[in-house]
Amino acid sequence: MDVDREDVSRRLHVKFVTKLDSPFKVPANSVAIPSNVTRLGLSSIVNSIIESDNPEWKTEPFDFLIDGELIRMSLEEFLLAKGISAERTLEIEYIRAVTPRKEEEPSLHDDWVSAVNGSSPRFILTGCYDGLGRVWSSAGSCSHILEGHSGAISSVALVNSNDAETVTVATSSKDRTLRLFKFDPTESVDSTTKVRAYKILRGHKASVQSVSAQKSGNMVCSSSWDCTINLWNTNESTSEGESVSVKKRKGNNQGEESQSEGEAVTSLVGHTQCVSSVVWPEYDVIYSSSWDHSVRRWDVETGKDSLNLFCGKALNTVDVGGEGSALIAAGGSDPILRVWDPRKPGTSAPVFQFSSHSSWISACKWHKSSWFHLLSASYDGKIMLWDLRTAWPLSVIDTHNDKVLSADWWKGESVISGGADSKLRISSGIAIS
Amino acid sequence: MTKKKKGANEDKIIETKSKTVSGKSQKQKKPVEIEESLKEEDLLQESGTDSDYDGDSLPESLDSDDFDSDFFDSEYDGTQEGTEDGDVEFSEDDVLGNLLEHEGSIDNVDDEESEQVESDNGEEDGSDEGSERDEAVEESDSSEDEVPSRNTVGDVPLEWYKDEKHIGYDITGKKITKKEKQDKLDSFLATMDDSKNWRKIYDEYNDEEVELTKEECNLMRRILKGEAPHADFDPYAPYVDWFKWDDSIHPLSSAPEPKRRFIPSKWEAKKVLKLVRAIRKGLIKFDKPEEEPNVYLLWGDDSTSDQKSKHLTYIPPPKLKLPGHDESYNPSLEYIPTEEEKASYELMYEEDRPKFIPKRFTSLRSIPAYENALKESFERCLDLYLCPRVRKKRINIDPESLKPKLPSRKDLRPYPNSCYLEYKGHTGAVTTISTDSSGEWIASGSTDGSVRMWEVETGRCLKVWQFDEAIMCVAWNPLSRLPVLAVAMGRDLFFLNTELGTDEEQEITKERLHSGNIPEPEASVAAIVTWLPDELYGGIKIRHFKSISSIDWHRKGDYLSTVMASGETRGVVLHQLSKQKTQRLPFKIRGLPVCTLFHPSLSYFFVATRKDVRVYNLLKPGEATKKLETGLREISSMAIHPGGDNLIVGSKEGKMCWFDMDLSSKPYKTLKNHPKDITNVAVHRSYPLFASCSEDSTAYVFHGMVYNDLNQNPLIVPLEILRGHSSKGGVLDCKFHPRQPWLFTAGADSIIKLYCH
Repeated sequence: MDVDREDVSRRLHVKFVTKLDSPFKVPANSVAIPSNVTRLGLSSIVNSIIESDNPEWKTEPFDFLIDGELIRMSLEEFLLAKGISAERTLEIEYIRAVTPRKEEEPSLHDDWVSAVNGSSPRFILTGCYDGLGRVWSSAGSCSHILEGHSGAISSVALVNSNDAETVTVATSSKDRTLRLFKFDPTESVDSTTKVRAYKILRGHKASVQSVSAQKSGNMVCSSSWDCTINLWNTNESTSEGESVSVKKRKGNNQGEESQSEGEAVTSLVGHTQCVSSVVWPEYDVIYSSSWDHSVRRWDVETGKDSLNLFCGKALNTVDVGGEGSALIAAGGSDPILRVWDPRKPGTSAPVFQFSSHSSWISACKWHKSSWFHLLSASYDGKIMLWDLRTAWPLSVIDTHNDKVLSADWWKGESVISGGADSKLRISSGIAIS
Repeated sequence: MTKKKKGANEDKIIETKSKTVSGKSQKQKKPVEIEESLKEEDLLQESGTDSDYDGDSLPESLDSDDFDSDFFDSEYDGTQEGTEDGDVEFSEDDVLGNLLEHEGSIDNVDDEESEQVESDNGEEDGSDEGSERDEAVEESDSSEDEVPSRNTVGDVPLEWYKDEKHIGYDITGKKITKKEKQDKLDSFLATMDDSKNWRKIYDEYNDEEVELTKEECNLMRRILKGEAPHADFDPYAPYVDWFKWDDSIHPLSSAPEPKRRFIPSKWEAKKVLKLVRAIRKGLIKFDKPEEEPNVYLLWGDDSTSDQKSKHLTYIPPPKLKLPGHDESYNPSLEYIPTEEEKASYELMYEEDRPKFIPKRFTSLRSIPAYENALKESFERCLDLYLCPRVRKKRINIDPESLKPKLPSRKDLRPYPNSCYLEYKGHTGAVTTISTDSSGEWIASGSTDGSVRMWEVETGRCLKVWQFDEAIMCVAWNPLSRLPVLAVAMGRDLFFLNTELGTDEEQEITKERLHSGNIPEPEASVAAIVTWLPDELYGGIKIRHFKSISSIDWHRKGDYLSTVMASGETRGVVLHQLSKQKTQRLPFKIRGLPVCTLFHPSLSYFFVATRKDVRVYNLLKPGEATKKLETGLREISSMAIHPGGDNLIVGSKEGKMCWFDMDLSSKPYKTLKNHPKDITNVAVHRSYPLFASCSEDSTAYVFHGMVYNDLNQNPLIVPLEILRGHSSKGGVLDCKFHPRQPWLFTAGADSIIKLYCH
């Protein structure tokens, strides 16, 4: 322990507490530590304390919280900046550092990976610029290929994540269509199965940018360059007459398995430019971001927008989550990830701004279970993990060689990402309590 | 006796002056005055009776210590014996008797005081007294106040008794005999001896001398000081308003207003008439201008005279310095420089060297002629003659204040300022870019012969068309439903189907680009262009007779103009895609065309030649054309504001002109910003932005606000210099994103950059 040999002028009495389980616990004694110690020093102190009890302990990085704020400078500076007295015994909470501990082998694609989705813990969905969607049961093993699109896939979404035999997946593409696929993820992974869409959703007049599925229901919404958000039914056939007429035309073109076409149930009009991203977090609420510099919240029942946040920059991505699933995070044509709290009255200014990226932000996702954690992917090739309790990124995943086009959480402890280097990257072992 | 010489005339004047003062004194009922009043009566005879005073309340009397007794001496000389200096007869007894009465009080009076006043105020005081007394005679009705005078002759001139031995009659009718006249010398001596003489007044009416009391002297002193005569009088007593200000119920008089109140006064009218006549005749003159004395300081130093220099712009020349000790023919030794000093002078610069080196001469005779005399006087004359000693009118203005007040760049956001995205893939210099009307894609052409279509959002290259020649121009069709790309290279113009858009749109597009039924060309254009099917990509190509330098789509997406720089009069043709035919311009073009533009909303057509821009009306070919004189050496590019009234022209000398076509045919602003050729200029479709790019590998972004109000000129503010392209070859093209405030720049370094806000 290098603390002992340091020439220490000031010492602080601290007590380490944690909510972690037994192997991570330290005795609740207060210890005297030098005041100029940083996070690394604190981490090594805690590690050595645990190691003294448990000889098989492997060193584990920790993050430290004082009064709900992460320490990102030396302890002395932190106390000065926050105006916390150093006289009394300081209570420092430690959590396992949010950083990937393992990097899986990249899963190679034929073209840029434009979309990833990790909603299901059983598999990963990816969309690619070659027009194929892929299902990966684990790193490097592609179980299904979703084919049919003539243009690049821009977004993929898992429609119903219930544990039924088959799962339904929606893909959106630059060929102005959405396709719905059904497959059985429990099939053997020895050979890659090709899956054709059971339903094609036509109606957008321009490239479809994003697709999102209703949490519990059979609807998907999609956003497009034609400035609209369309809502679709995912049923095999919504109404008899429609599906008949469609089948007739389809029969002429392809003449094989029953591929139905669907039309938009309704269209949410309001954005004046390309709607770049949609999310459907609740039953009747849709959030959308657009290149017209706004984030809107739509009421599905009425088809009106109930919230309109103006940002000033063209936005590429939006996600809703955090505390009470109410915070809106959005990123776009500048390196700043903004987080709004629409519950805060009287202001449309972002409550958090994270600006460590150096290029456009292409994706941002909230962690499904944590209120504080979110990730952002940027064209600078980096994925950053953020905690609302500090303005510095928790960790930077810099595994891509080119632009990162999409990223998502998977299984709560992994980050999956796809980029212009045609690889799906999985960084796992992220400890988020 | 000098005192006697004072003339009687003088006395009279003084008397009249002091009437008021003397009159006022009468109200003061003082026993002391009794004797005085007697004397006054005598004086009155001389000065004539002024009976029109009322005694005023001001208790002023003449009894003052500064009373000049000498004066009275002279006075009675004058009255009794005329102006002659004859001996004065005194009735000594009377005077003495009077004196006795007052003796006790007089003792206290200071001699010094009296003498001091004597010289100053003697005359006036004397006269005061004189006039005062006659009032006393008339006025006083109380027995206390008035002691009946001894003499009863009344108000008769005393001259009548001049030759008599008596001066009048007393109350019993007995003659009052004149006192025996003293010898002048004796009387003078007596006056000299008597210390109280200054206080004595001769009363010639009663022929006696009166001596003033101390109180009287004090009174006079106070009057002289300008104070109230009595010490117990309070001039600043609180004002008691006796008048009842409340409105009385009844008027003072119930008499009706007399008629005269309402008619103009006849007499006043007469008086006015008289004055008017006098003025007309010129008897009365008004406002006679006062003549100012025209004098000035003749020998004054004119260089310092402010008065003159204030008005004149001429500055008088400075006077020559007067010779000092140095110039003396025999100065003191300390003025003579030593040999070392003289040697050091030689080492100095000519300007620093002293002009005159003092020398010593034993006598004036040995002084030689001054060697510089002619030179110096010549120089002085030159100075006087040639130096323009004129005050220059220079306006003192802070140069900062002359700068136009430009709004802050922060207020003009958004504008492109930082590059986040690059579009890489070309292997040669990117010469041209074009944005799709929706802003989703851009197309670019390069010297490597490839045309690429990019996705703006991700920087993904979606399509590549490879050709053999370097691409000169690419242009998206402005219609979103007709996704056709016009590509010019060499002599060929290709229409490429980008295969974007919905199926129906694709059908229309394919129909348009169907090369099966190309009509026979008209004879007039057959020599210029040929429509051919494009075997390579299945579209149409148009072969021109000269190489194409610039193309521009009409806003409706059907017509396309191509410019052949070396085509001279046939250098500009219009292609119609829907009919697949070509036509020449319905008018003749003067000069070599450089580029052309369609007006964004009207049927005007802009043709830029090397030096100027001409505006033609396509629908009315006969209409007079408008010529915009740029004043530039060689135009390279132009762009039009979406409003259609403002045109931006870039030139190969790095200058940019902003034309406000409503304002004038001369440039509204000429901006010299680039050190090298401007390759292209661009105007944003919706944001008030315009940009220029240049071979110096920078792009400039400007704020160019055009107001609807015709009175307000466009506002042009330079915003940002966009750098980033490598220095070789520079930036060859720039285009704005149609919907975002973003700028695409195409560099000779084969990279396209997107600058975002």
